[in-house]
Amino acid sequence: MSSSFDCSKLDWKGYALGELDKNARAEAEGHAATCQACRGELAATRLTLDALSTLHDEEVPRRIAFVSDKVFEPRWWQRLWSPTFAAACVVAAAILVHGFMSVTRPSVDSAEIQARVDRAVTKAVADTEERQAQRFEEALTYLQKQNNLIYKQTTF
Amino acid sequence: MIFREVEDRDLIAKARKGDVEAYNLLVSRWEKRVFNYLLRLVSNREDALDVSQDVFLKAYQNLPKLDDAARFSGWLFRIAHNEAFSLLRRRRPESELAGEPRGDDFDTRHARGSLLPMELSLAVETALGRLNDDQREAVLLKVYQGFKFEEMAEILECPVSTVKSRLYTALDLLKTTLAPSLSLSDARSKVRGES
Repeated sequence: MSSSFDCSKLDWKGYALGELDKNARAEAEGHAATCQACRGELAATRLTLDALSTLHDEEVPRRIAFVSDKVFEPRWWQRLWSPTFAAACVVAAAILVHGFMSVTRPSVDSAEIQARVDRAVTKAVADTEERQAQRFEEALTYLQKQNNLIYKQTTF
Repeated sequence: MIFREVEDRDLIAKARKGDVEAYNLLVSRWEKRVFNYLLRLVSNREDALDVSQDVFLKAYQNLPKLDDAARFSGWLFRIAHNEAFSLLRRRRPESELAGEPRGDDFDTRHARGSLLPMELSLAVETALGRLNDDQREAVLLKVYQGFKFEEMAEILECPVSTVKSRLYTALDLLKTTLAPSLSLSDARSKVRGES
């Protein structure tokens, strides 16, 4: 490096902290190879950072958790949006609809069927009575003819 | 690290839907980092634990406002920073009355020239305690939490130049404060290496 190079332009702290880009790092390393003062500056910074690294993290005295805190309970509308709850709602609705249909449909059908049966029975009874009356009339007419015939034979 | 980020994102998504267990898992991953950051900033274990709980509570309540789950760490430390400085502001009058920062005992030990590795840690803790809050926080975020300058600027809501200024000043002060201890420790290590 030339003697006119301004060492103060070099960011040795940034270099030690890994914040320089590739070009800046190369420039700094090239200069450090020829400048004892900058090597000393870098070494001192690294020594300070090494000292800081001797301070280790402490364990957390108590676990931080929010399991039973009501503040963290999901609201009712949040529960509604959960896939499991929504699926359960769909299944429950399907069961209810099916149950309703299966309960109401037989009652409607049976009434109608009963009415049809009643009408059919009434008609059948009427038809039978009509046929019986007709046969009775025929039988009565036949008997009267037979009586008339017997009467004529006995009087002559 | 990539897998970790993906998993964190999944946990954040579940926590946003009210999955407390997912959030607790997220807390378990970050609580040690947040607690130690706060411990070194507020210098009191119970306060650090209380503030940690507040931080995670606020983080949960504000999760829906987190635009990008990949930026969770910076966002979480932003909340931690706010909570810590809120405590420090409340505490300030008391500290000012109490006088100088902790660490006078270290000077006595150091004067005797009897530093051991554990005492070097104490020396570092003492030296950190002598920085002002902004400088100490810059060191904590960079050296102990590994944030980049840009991330620190977002957490602290200040320009990168301010972040660098605080950090570099802090490192210069630490170098000066720790220099005697470091040379002593270094010399002792060399002697041990030669023997």
